[in-house]
Amino acid sequence: MPNPKLQLVGAPFTGASERSVIQTRSISKIFSLPEGPVTALKDVNITVNKGDFVSFVGPSGCGKSTLLNIIAGLLPPSSGTAELYGEAITSPSRRMGFMFQTAVLLPWRTVEANVLLPAEVYGLKPDSVREKARSVIEAVGLKDFIKAYPKQLSGGMQQRVALARVLTYEPEILLMDEPFGALDEFTREAMNLELMRITQSAGITCIFVTHNITEAVFLSDKVVVMTPRPGKVSGVLDVQLPRPREIDTMKDPAFADMIFEVRSLLGRHI
Amino acid sequence: MKHPDQWTDTAKQRRHDWYFRLGTIGIGVVILALWELLPLLGLVNPIILPPFTKVAEALYTLMQQPFFPGHLAVTFNEIMIGFVVGTLLGLGIGIALAVWPAAKRLTYPFVVGFQAIPKIVFAPLFIAWFGFGQTSKIVMAVVIAFFPVLINTMVGLESVPSDARKLMRSLKATPLQIFWKVSFLHALPIIFAGIQAAFTFAVIGAIVGEFVGAQEGLGYLLNLYNFQLRIDRAFAVIVILAGIGAAGFFILEWMDRKFIFWREDRSH
Repeated sequence: MPNPKLQLVGAPFTGASERSVIQTRSISKIFSLPEGPVTALKDVNITVNKGDFVSFVGPSGCGKSTLLNIIAGLLPPSSGTAELYGEAITSPSRRMGFMFQTAVLLPWRTVEANVLLPAEVYGLKPDSVREKARSVIEAVGLKDFIKAYPKQLSGGMQQRVALARVLTYEPEILLMDEPFGALDEFTREAMNLELMRITQSAGITCIFVTHNITEAVFLSDKVVVMTPRPGKVSGVLDVQLPRPREIDTMKDPAFADMIFEVRSLLGRHI
Repeated sequence: MKHPDQWTDTAKQRRHDWYFRLGTIGIGVVILALWELLPLLGLVNPIILPPFTKVAEALYTLMQQPFFPGHLAVTFNEIMIGFVVGTLLGLGIGIALAVWPAAKRLTYPFVVGFQAIPKIVFAPLFIAWFGFGQTSKIVMAVVIAFFPVLINTMVGLESVPSDARKLMRSLKATPLQIFWKVSFLHALPIIFAGIQAAFTFAVIGAIVGEFVGAQEGLGYLLNLYNFQLRIDRAFAVIVILAGIGAAGFFILEWMDRKFIFWREDRSH
């Protein structure tokens, strides 16, 4: 019996709609390495709708990070286009925020000064955003560390600072490249719950790259499953588990079914 | 909160610090005692190695001489000008080569080639070019002091983590913003290590310049006393030069602690 909460969209979805924020049109990326050309991405079509949480999941080398970098405007595609609200992405946009696997904090800046970095780069007066920065730092649970330096913080706390930094300038879209991949399992889980709470309440569209299937299913509205050599989309799954999700969500039989679906789409590649 | 692996027992640590401090003082005392006793006991000819107290006495009388402040000032100026100009040149050229990759690729072989030359060989040449005055010594100090700053500036600027640059690019930062807000500050601990080396090198440059041909300065005095076999006074000059080198080192070390407080390889 098919599970009613589970809907498998076998092929990459291409239909643009009113709600679509990001769309890729047959993106390919070929790197010319000394050993010869390597196709990192082949004919990738995906659509991300407003307010959705979308994960790119797949083993190393499937091109998920490359795809994220193309969407971020940090890397040009070899062919095809990535579009933000229907316009081709050729350079980074301030409507999109980027998070890395590590926090990438500047060690000579306090937590507050790190969070204010984007505002400074944008040429805003720090005072005009200080209130906002404070409230975001509070929201990620670092109220008592506002004047601390990064080396005084644990890995999880550093990543919270990175989250505060990106949230302070209120991006519409959050691009995350395995943002909690370097953290231990417990911290990662706590961070995931927090990320979900914050982005849901702010209505931020999220693209989340991970190789952790459980994490992808738990967080996402859509899971884009990618396979390597050449990197391509082998399927997109709608995760129709109710929100808000808590740790209990993992007990839902549909959750286990979903994970199994992702595994089967990854097929022989894992 | 540090990781438990990095926890240290501070009481034990402090006790150990004291043992080491006492140990260092002990070694110093032994060295001075040997310096004093070996010539006195006739194990070393006092003309080759005058006893420590003789040198201390010579140092005191030398500093009383009316000609001394002039020589000190000459060498001090050469060192300071050489150090400052060498540092600024190294910094400027290092930054230019790091931010302008084409310039680096074009000139790097010459940089490496010039680096490979023992700079001391230029000392006689500089005398011929710039005369027996201070200029030739300053040029020598600049040429020697400049390289550690140049190399460390380039290495420091090239070691900026790619994610930090990527973060700035994702914020649409201008190259100038990336340089001043991220790259330069990231490179600063490494650059500063080069600047510390540059001071020591500037002292060497000034003294070598004076050895080769000069009519004033501490290097000139040292040479003179050597020829006159007034080894106690020669040692006194060496002590003064050591003092200048140590003072420069500690001042720069203090600045490093004050301004580069985020340096990772420092525990306290």
